[in-house]
Amino acid sequence: MTIRQLLEILTVLIPLPPFLAFAFIVLFFNRWKRLSHSIAIGAMALSFLMAQIVFWTVIGWGGEALYEHPIAVQVPWLPSGDEVLSMGVMVDPLTAITLFFVSITCLAIFIYSVGYMHGDPRYSRFFAYISLFATGMLGLTVADNLLMLFIFWEIMGLCSYLLIGFWFEKPSAYRAAIKAFLTTRIGDVIMLLGIAYLYSQTGTLSFAAILRDEAVLHELAVTPSVISGLSVAAAVGLLLFAGTVGKSAQFPLHVWLPDAMEGPTPVSAMIHAATMVSAGVYMVVRMFPLLAVGMEGAVGTPPMVAMAIIGSFTAFFAATIAVAQDDIKRVLAYSTISQLAYMVAALGIGAYVAAAFHLVTHAFFKALLFLGSGSVIIGAHHEQDMMEMGGLRKRMPVTFWTFLIGGFALSGFPILTAGFWSKDEILAYAWHLNPVVFWVLAAGALLTAFYTMRQICLTFLGEPRGEHAEHAHETPWVMTGPLVVLALFALFFGFVGVPEEFPVLGELIGYNWFHHFVGATVGELLHHLPGPESFNPVPLAISVVAALGGLTLGWLVYGRRPLKAGETDPLARWLGPVHTVLKNKYYIDELYHFVFIRPTVWLAGAVFRWFDRGLIDGILHGIARLGEILGIANRWVHTYVIDGGVVDGSAKVVGATGRELRQVLQTGQVQHYLLQVLMFLCAFALLYILFF
Amino acid sequence: MGGETVFNAIWLLTILPELLLLILALIVLGVDLALPAERKRSLGVWTAAGLVIVLLVSLLAPVPEEAAFGGLVRADPLGRVFRAMFLLGGVLVALMSMDFRPLRQDGPYYGMLLFSLLGMCLMAVAENLVMLYVAMELTSISAYVLVGYLREDTFSAEAGLKYMLFGAFTSAVMLYGLSLLFGLTGGTGYMEVAAALREAPFSLAMVGFLMVLVGFGFKVAMVPMHFWTPDVYQGAPTPVTAFISVASKAAGFAVMLRAFRFIFPSLGGEWVALMVAISAVTMTLGNIFAVWQKNIKRMLAYSSVAQAGYILIGVAAASRLGIAAAAFYLIIYTVTNIAAFATVVLVSNLTGSEDIESFAGLSRRSKFLAWGLMLALFSLGGVPPFAGFIGKLILFAGAVQSGLIALVVIGVLNVIVSLYYYLNVAKVVFERRSEEEEEPVPIPVPSRWVLGFTMAAIVILGVLAAPVFNWVWRASGAWF
Repeated sequence: MTIRQLLEILTVLIPLPPFLAFAFIVLFFNRWKRLSHSIAIGAMALSFLMAQIVFWTVIGWGGEALYEHPIAVQVPWLPSGDEVLSMGVMVDPLTAITLFFVSITCLAIFIYSVGYMHGDPRYSRFFAYISLFATGMLGLTVADNLLMLFIFWEIMGLCSYLLIGFWFEKPSAYRAAIKAFLTTRIGDVIMLLGIAYLYSQTGTLSFAAILRDEAVLHELAVTPSVISGLSVAAAVGLLLFAGTVGKSAQFPLHVWLPDAMEGPTPVSAMIHAATMVSAGVYMVVRMFPLLAVGMEGAVGTPPMVAMAIIGSFTAFFAATIAVAQDDIKRVLAYSTISQLAYMVAALGIGAYVAAAFHLVTHAFFKALLFLGSGSVIIGAHHEQDMMEMGGLRKRMPVTFWTFLIGGFALSGFPILTAGFWSKDEILAYAWHLNPVVFWVLAAGALLTAFYTMRQICLTFLGEPRGEHAEHAHETPWVMTGPLVVLALFALFFGFVGVPEEFPVLGELIGYNWFHHFVGATVGELLHHLPGPESFNPVPLAISVVAALGGLTLGWLVYGRRPLKAGETDPLARWLGPVHTVLKNKYYIDELYHFVFIRPTVWLAGAVFRWFDRGLIDGILHGIARLGEILGIANRWVHTYVIDGGVVDGSAKVVGATGRELRQVLQTGQVQHYLLQVLMFLCAFALLYILFF
Repeated sequence: MGGETVFNAIWLLTILPELLLLILALIVLGVDLALPAERKRSLGVWTAAGLVIVLLVSLLAPVPEEAAFGGLVRADPLGRVFRAMFLLGGVLVALMSMDFRPLRQDGPYYGMLLFSLLGMCLMAVAENLVMLYVAMELTSISAYVLVGYLREDTFSAEAGLKYMLFGAFTSAVMLYGLSLLFGLTGGTGYMEVAAALREAPFSLAMVGFLMVLVGFGFKVAMVPMHFWTPDVYQGAPTPVTAFISVASKAAGFAVMLRAFRFIFPSLGGEWVALMVAISAVTMTLGNIFAVWQKNIKRMLAYSSVAQAGYILIGVAAASRLGIAAAAFYLIIYTVTNIAAFATVVLVSNLTGSEDIESFAGLSRRSKFLAWGLMLALFSLGGVPPFAGFIGKLILFAGAVQSGLIALVVIGVLNVIVSLYYYLNVAKVVFERRSEEEEEPVPIPVPSRWVLGFTMAAIVILGVLAAPVFNWVWRASGAWF
């Protein structure tokens, strides 16, 4: 067996262990808590191991070699007439790097959950669900076609519903679960339309057959679609992007994600870092050749323009909301929306590698931040309001330092953190390609640094402002351990993608590995993408100023003189009504409630009353009445016509079939049966003899 | 010309499985004499093991492509698919019979089962009107005996008599039709008949078609030749019911598909229109009547009528996809229905009742049985991701390809109706409590094998249909 065959088998097996863990826990072991978490973690560790073996082996081959000969296995799956839909797995550079970060973050979250979920009555069920969740993400990552990707995408949708509503005794939790499910479903349905449209045009959904075939892409780009002015490629791209808007919580479908904080915190980390929201961006990164086909120079295609606009707007918009939130997890939720928007905007301007890079670094530091906030919540006895915290630095040192690292990475603290390198790359491309996008993103970066500093100061510095914070304690090692590991990645992962032209460091490292490896995923296209020719210090300077400026501002407002208990947020005093609007998230939930939900509920009620009760039930009752009349008529015929002339069958038969009096035909007497066959025969024979 | 050669030894290869079946039947009957009474249950193992060997031989042995015995039989790939399907059904029914108390020690019963199978295998490959009739009679007569096998049981005896009366009548009509065709064309080989039929008067040919259809319709239980099903299904010993519901029905479809494809193409749109109508009526009546049933075997009888209606969609489509879909659906239907009947055998062994109500609390008495029944019902009802869903999907796809959109709409509506009574049983199994629910249902080893195999097949054919479907699809190529 060659190494390639071995890797093929491993790749097929990667999503399997968590799925088996899910099945076994649900079916057999749901009473044994320790056994459940051992199975879940063991299965995830197995997947992790296989994913890492695949990743490190293909790294040795290099990006170009992997692009030329990706690992690919296919089996025929669903016959559809003359063709057969195939299912299969594929590993190209993008898949490899995604497997790398997904497997690490998932494993960290699994281990952490042992501490966080300790004592929960539905402990086993929790591990079953997150195992299925991991299956969804791993399966989606290795999928080699859009249909399979969509199936795993929906598995994750289901898991997010189950996990957000995990504590379904709380009304807010089950409402959040329904909201998440329905909101993402809007995007999913539109995406499914895109998939169907693509299939109807190309007859295939395989990534290799569509994205790697110049002729197919060109054909799609020049064929006009049903919408005038758009090519098929553009129409499909826009439809697919709608899926990302839902899954990655971009404006206007972002509303579900902050509410999703109702789930247990490891779930938040799972949804917001390792899996679900990443899947949304992963899908558009994966489909980028299709989205970008027809691009000329720096002028983007319609889907790219849409992504640039929605991405940059959401990046800034979500950051402004995050500034005014008091719940420790909600701040992170809005920062997730904002950071994902950076990736979307980056793809929109054609910064393919930068988007993928930020996807990876963000997964690490956001998982870290969520797990850190979970540690705070557990340490502070389930307190989530930052206004009630403060002074946790001394009480929870490990959590503090790791959270600080995560926060700095999120802010893009220069050189030292991974977040800086990926965000700086996006900004460098934006500066070169689209100044509007650049300035919006830069302003967003400033706000990001500001609210991150606000969060760190409110949570960890000063004196405790509440009872719970007073008695806070550090969490056990199963929780802090994953924090430390993720903190290492949040610090150092950025160095794999240092631009070669970067002063001093660029020369020192000498090779932008990430760019070469992941960039190879799109083959030739990479060299046609626009980008900065040489190093430009201006965007770098602005990006550094934004990060440091935001952090300093935050320090000045919240850190220099920490808030006292009962004191209002100084920002609320200065911004006045603007702050109220931000705190209420621009009243978008209220708007949606008024515009969409109330009319829908009203319409549903009306339809139920008039259409269902009145019309449909009316017809059904009518049919039932008809059946009754027929039965009565039949009985009459039997009693007075047939039984008068024909011999009765055995009593037993009548007994057995007596219940069937309603039926006109089934009498239980063979003579009747034969008579009816003969009638059928004669009727049709006469028909054919007389009329043909 | 084939007629000039009187005998060619290579022809024996064409009917090798049939020859082996005959030998197996004789062996089983011989062993029955040799075994002491208390060990006679092992006859089921003999039968099943022998059938597995025959099945393997029928799949693996080389077979000449051309017709054998002067055009009497032709073991083409699709015929071999059907043959394998019957043999598989036979294996499962033989195992299942070992757990059915009144029959399990009865040597002649197993022998009769094998003779019936022999007839079916010949039906699958017959390419001559006389051969067809003889094969069908062999199948039917053995089946009459099987249905009425429990002479002490009035239900069984009566069912056997009814089955025979109905069968004899339809068989007579069919024989009349066959003689009409012979009179019109002067030939008995399918190809000769088809060639001469193009010149024959249309109305007479159509009447011949109708009469033959009556015979086929009896086998597949389509309206209006379905009347015997509920009474016979209920009265027959349950393993026999399973056997009739799958293998006998599949054999009927095997001859129907071949005859329509090769004898009647010159009748063109007329027979298709008739089949469309019959298909729609069959599934609708089957489903509506099934809703009312309280006895699970009667319910499954009407359900099998409805299923025949679905398969008729493929017959009516009359295309390569339609035919392949029908054959593929029959494979799925075979494993699915056997799973359902196997649970009925075990439950009624314990409760002595075949009422749907007697399944109350089954999920607490045996998870394995409850899930087996559940999978079977889901598959029959076409719930994804189980096999029945894919089967119906491809059937409908074939109909759409042939432009029978209206029939597909009726089919889909029918599937919805059918879910009502399938899920109703599932509700009783999982939700209804019963007083005996503490008492577990013992599952003997043969049933374990049957259920394990069929459950796995239901799931695997559902999530990974392509390998088996491709096999059927390739086989169907020989007809086009």
